[in-house]
Amino acid sequence: MSLHYTLSVIRAPKVTLTIPAEESLSGPDQSTVLWADMARWFGEEIRSMLENIKAVPYREVEELRLRVGQPFMVRTSDRDLFINQEGGVTSPEKAYLVRREDLICALERMTQSSVYAAEEDLKQGYLTLPGGNRVGVTGEAVILRGQIQTLKHVSALNLRIAREIQGQGLNIIPLLIRADGMFCHTLLISPPRAGKTTLLRDLIRIISNGVPKIRLKGQTVGVLDERGELAGMWQGEPTYNLGYRTDVLDGCPKASGMNMIVRSMAPQVIAMDELGHADDVTALLDALRTGVRILCTAHASSLEEALLRPTLAPLLEQGVFERLVVLSRKQGPGTIDGVYDLKTGRIL
Amino acid sequence: MQIMGCVALIAGCGSLGLWLAHRIRQRPVELRECLMALALLDTEIVWGSTPLPEAFSLVKERTDQPWQGFFAQLQERLQRGDSASSAWKATILTQNRHFCLKQEDWQVIGDVGKGLGRSDSHEQHKQLELVQRQLTLMKDQAGIWSDKQAKMWSYLGFLSGIAVVLILI
Repeated sequence: MSLHYTLSVIRAPKVTLTIPAEESLSGPDQSTVLWADMARWFGEEIRSMLENIKAVPYREVEELRLRVGQPFMVRTSDRDLFINQEGGVTSPEKAYLVRREDLICALERMTQSSVYAAEEDLKQGYLTLPGGNRVGVTGEAVILRGQIQTLKHVSALNLRIAREIQGQGLNIIPLLIRADGMFCHTLLISPPRAGKTTLLRDLIRIISNGVPKIRLKGQTVGVLDERGELAGMWQGEPTYNLGYRTDVLDGCPKASGMNMIVRSMAPQVIAMDELGHADDVTALLDALRTGVRILCTAHASSLEEALLRPTLAPLLEQGVFERLVVLSRKQGPGTIDGVYDLKTGRIL
Repeated sequence: MQIMGCVALIAGCGSLGLWLAHRIRQRPVELRECLMALALLDTEIVWGSTPLPEAFSLVKERTDQPWQGFFAQLQERLQRGDSASSAWKATILTQNRHFCLKQEDWQVIGDVGKGLGRSDSHEQHKQLELVQRQLTLMKDQAGIWSDKQAKMWSYLGFLSGIAVVLILI
C-alpha cells in the first residue's frame, strides 16, 4: 500500500503554466509562496534556506538534490545551482553541505513520521508527495530472498517538482487521431526529465475534454496513476485538471488496475505512466482485446533504444502501438523530437 | 462551634484519604486503557499501514479521557510537523498531570516514542509488543497493590482526622 495523506497535509499550491507561460506565476510573491510551501518538507536548516531563496524563481526549478556530505543543489532546466546557508546561490565549495540528519528529518516529514506506511513506495525507490511531486530515494537496500525489503541508511533524496503545462499536447494531438476520429494507440518515450509525464497529463486532459476545432470528441479516459503523479490525488480529488471525462485509479499497480478500470469505468482510452514491468505488458495486451485505446509512456531516447528494452520490444514488434512520440531536452524539457507512424515508419 | 470544627477536620482528612484512594484505583484502569490504545495503534500500523496522524486520530476516537486528550495532542503535534518521537516526549510532559500514573509507568510509556514511525511495520510491531508486555506486568502489579492501598487510604483519612481531633481536644 502506498502512503496516503488523509489528515495532516494541506493542499499544496500547484504550478500551472499555459503556453505561452502565464506572467502571474512568475511574480516574486508567487515564487516566495511556492518556495515556502516546498520548505515544509524539510528540517529547520534546509527549510530556512528555501524560505530565503530569492535568486531562483520557483517556476524554473525542476529538482532539489540532497546527498549526504555534498552541497545542497537546485536544478533548473539548464543549470545546477548550489545554495548556501542564507539561501543564496554560490560555488559548490561554499554551499551548505547536506547532513544525514537533514535527510532523516526530510524523510520523516515526507512520510508524516510513518516510514512503515511508505514501505511499498520505498521498495521501489520513491515517495509521492501531495500534489504529485515525486521524491527519489537511494540508500542501502535490504534484501531478503532476492527481493528488496526496504532501504536503510538513506544517502540521497531527489525531489522532482511536478508541472502542469497546459496546451503542449494540442500541437501533436491531430497526429494521434485516425481519420475515423479514433485515438491511436500511442507510446510517448524520452529519457528521464524530458517531460513525458507533463505531456501525458496534458494529452489526457485534451482527449477527455475533446477539441471541437479538430472535431475530436471528448472520450472517457481511465487513468492508472500507480505512483500518484499524474493526477496528484488528494482525498479523492485530483490536484491537476485531467478533464471532464477522466476517472483516476490512484495508487493501484498498473497490472491489476487495468482489468479493474476496464470493468468498472468502461473507458475508451486507458492512460498510464512508465510502462516497464513485464506484468504491465501482459495486462496491457489483455486490455487491448477489450477494445480500449492505449496512451502510455516509457523510458527510452529513441525507437531503436525502445526496441532493445525486453519489456517494450514485444509490444513494438507486434505492432501494438500506432504512434510513437519521441521527446527530448534539446530545446528544454518537453521538446518533441518527432511523431512516428509505426505502421508505415513515416515521421508525421 | 467546636463540634463543627471537629466535623470539618474529620471530613477534610477523610476526603483527602478518599482522593488518594481514588488515584490509586485509577492507575490500573489507566494502564489498561493505555494497553488497549497501544493494541489499536499496533493494528493500525501493522494491518492498515495507517500514517501516524490518522492512526492517532482513530485511537483518540476509541479511548476515554485522559488518553483521548493525550492522543489528540499527539495528532495535533504531528500535523504541525513535529517528528513522532519529539511529539511523544512533549505530549507526556504536558499531559502527565491529567493522569494518576507513576513516574515508572511514564518511563515505559516513553519508550514507545523511541523510534516510533522510523522503521518498517515489522520493527514497529516488535517495539510496541515489548512495551505492551512490560505494561501488562505493571498493570497486574498495580491491580494487586491498589486493592490494598486504596482501602487503607480511605480508612486512614478519616482515622487520622479523628486522631487529630482527639489530640486537639
